Amino acid sequence: MTDRATAVETRSLTRSYGTGRRGGSEVYALRGVDLSVGQGEVHGLLGPNGAGKTTLCRILSTILLPTSGTARIMGRDVVRDADAVKRCIGIVFGGDRGLYGRLTVGDNLRFWAALYGLRGTGLRRRCQALLERMGLAHRADDRVDTLSRGMKQRLHLARGLVADPPLLILDEPTVGMDPVAAQDFRVLVDGLRADGRTILLTTHDMAEAEAVCDRVSLVDHGRIIATRAPAGIGALISRYERIEARGVPAEVAAALPDIPGVVTVRAAAGERLRIETEDTSATRAVLRRLVAEDVTEVATSRPTLEEVYLHLIGERGMTVER
Amino acid sequence: MRLFVTAARFQLRHLAGSPAAVQVCVTAPLLTVVFLSISDYAGRTDLSPYAVVAPTLMSLWLLALHAAGELITEERDLGTLEGLIAAPARLGTVVMGRMCAVTAIGVVSFAESWLAAGLVFGRWLAFPHPLVVVACLLATVWAAAGTASILSPLFVLMPSARVIQNTLSYPFYLLGGVLVPVTFLPGWVQPVSRAVFLSWSADLLRDGLDPAPVTDAVARLAVILALGSAGCAIGLMLLRRVLNRVRRLGTLAQA
Ligand SMILES: Nc1ncnc2c1ncn2[C@@H]1O[C@H](COP(=O)(O)OP(=O)(O)OP(=O)(O)O)[C@@H](O)[C@H]1O
Ligand SMILES: [Mg+2]
Repeated sequence: MTDRATAVETRSLTRSYGTGRRGGSEVYALRGVDLSVGQGEVHGLLGPNGAGKTTLCRILSTILLPTSGTARIMGRDVVRDADAVKRCIGIVFGGDRGLYGRLTVGDNLRFWAALYGLRGTGLRRRCQALLERMGLAHRADDRVDTLSRGMKQRLHLARGLVADPPLLILDEPTVGMDPVAAQDFRVLVDGLRADGRTILLTTHDMAEAEAVCDRVSLVDHGRIIATRAPAGIGALISRYERIEARGVPAEVAAALPDIPGVVTVRAAAGERLRIETEDTSATRAVLRRLVAEDVTEVATSRPTLEEVYLHLIGERGMTVER
Repeated sequence: MRLFVTAARFQLRHLAGSPAAVQVCVTAPLLTVVFLSISDYAGRTDLSPYAVVAPTLMSLWLLALHAAGELITEERDLGTLEGLIAAPARLGTVVMGRMCAVTAIGVVSFAESWLAAGLVFGRWLAFPHPLVVVACLLATVWAAAGTASILSPLFVLMPSARVIQNTLSYPFYLLGGVLVPVTFLPGWVQPVSRAVFLSWSADLLRDGLDPAPVTDAVARLAVILALGSAGCAIGLMLLRRVLNRVRRLGTLAQA
């Protein structure tokens, strides 16, 4: 198998939920998702609340059945070949639930290890190594109830890794982590990538997605609306070039919209002015004008992932049906 | 088998100090005292084995019902059920291992009841057939867990597990001849009783405490084990079906 083989492949994956009310219509959580994640890839799923990210993760983890369409993990169907799929995935569902609070950290991890078929000294060694890797070794004998949220999150990660799976499915793995822990998490993901593992993760943290993902998919209303490498994602809205400047006199700012090709002029954080232009000639005209006015703190940049996200999802206004 | 043992050990640690286990361990010897007081008052000291056998079996069945009712519900409340189902281990083995562990705590109440009879009433029951008693207790643990496992899928579907749990305790004690020998029950009830493992367990346990030779001990043990295994087979089959239904409906995570 080459390293370009697919780890996750979905075709027209659809999932609806009954509303529970008699006569109520179905809620579509996924509407024909086609997703393909290569082996060794770190793939991010981004999207607003209710977009269908968790539903997708659940189907890939075999705990939820699709309404229609197919999903394959390492070439195996998640419905027909669920047992084989279970053996090659580790799941980490975010939040502080999903652990046995009355048991110790070590007991939790060892139980999960046993459920994944580990035994005896192999089991003990693996659990010890994971606790150390997650920085939880000194808390191994403490009850899970006494852990902080971020520590529980790390225990979840240890659990997901316990069977040494080639694919990890992480649903909001950094929710509740402090910035230092979240930074540690990025380092950890890099380590996992170096192991050659495939990672599918959902997050609401754009900086995190930008930092760790090889590619991201933007999900909205149960559909994937774009899949790109974070670096190239600006291309999705690339007809806008962008200039940021500081200390622009008010009368100059007021005149900028009159330059042909300028799309928007907006105030941005830190007393900056953000100018979006339609093409490079407009950008040049704006730069010339700013320099002529003695504005020297000027930068041009590509749109960040966060901006693309807001542009495609946040500013969809009333045009998208529900 | 290893998974079964792992699951059982996990459950014991998980259960340590849980209210249900404590309640059962506290009430069993008290029940013995009640039964012995009554039989003494009636001048029927020959009924002493009943006073030890009844609380023991009541504890076993209560704990089995408790395990069946709480296991899935609790997993769901903790949010661990999804992880359990997504793991490659056979869920049936894990469930039975854990059910048996809870039920086995009931064996403690046998010791307690025996001690209570001795300490409070000076009635130290002899063990003329220790092997029969031990084998019968173990078989009963399996049978109670197996029978109760039929109920655990129902608990997945129904939120009011407590109600079923409570309704199913006394009818089973009666049908199982735990409080009153089956032969004292109305004639039409007796065949039904024979389908309940408790009736076989109660008879065999009492015989095991009686100096007279025990007849057909092995065959009767086999009946207890078979009734338990049948329950277990039905229970696990139902559990698989219910979980598939839940995977289809997407209500797994909901309490
Ligand atoms: N068990 C369920 N029953 C009914 N509807 C559900 C169920 N689970 C999810 N949904 C609905 O499906 C849609 C997608 O939900 P999902 O949890 O997959 O979103 P998400 O992208 O993970 O959101 P978030 O960012 O808030 O975690 C939502 O409209 C949600 O209300
Ligand atoms: Mg979610």
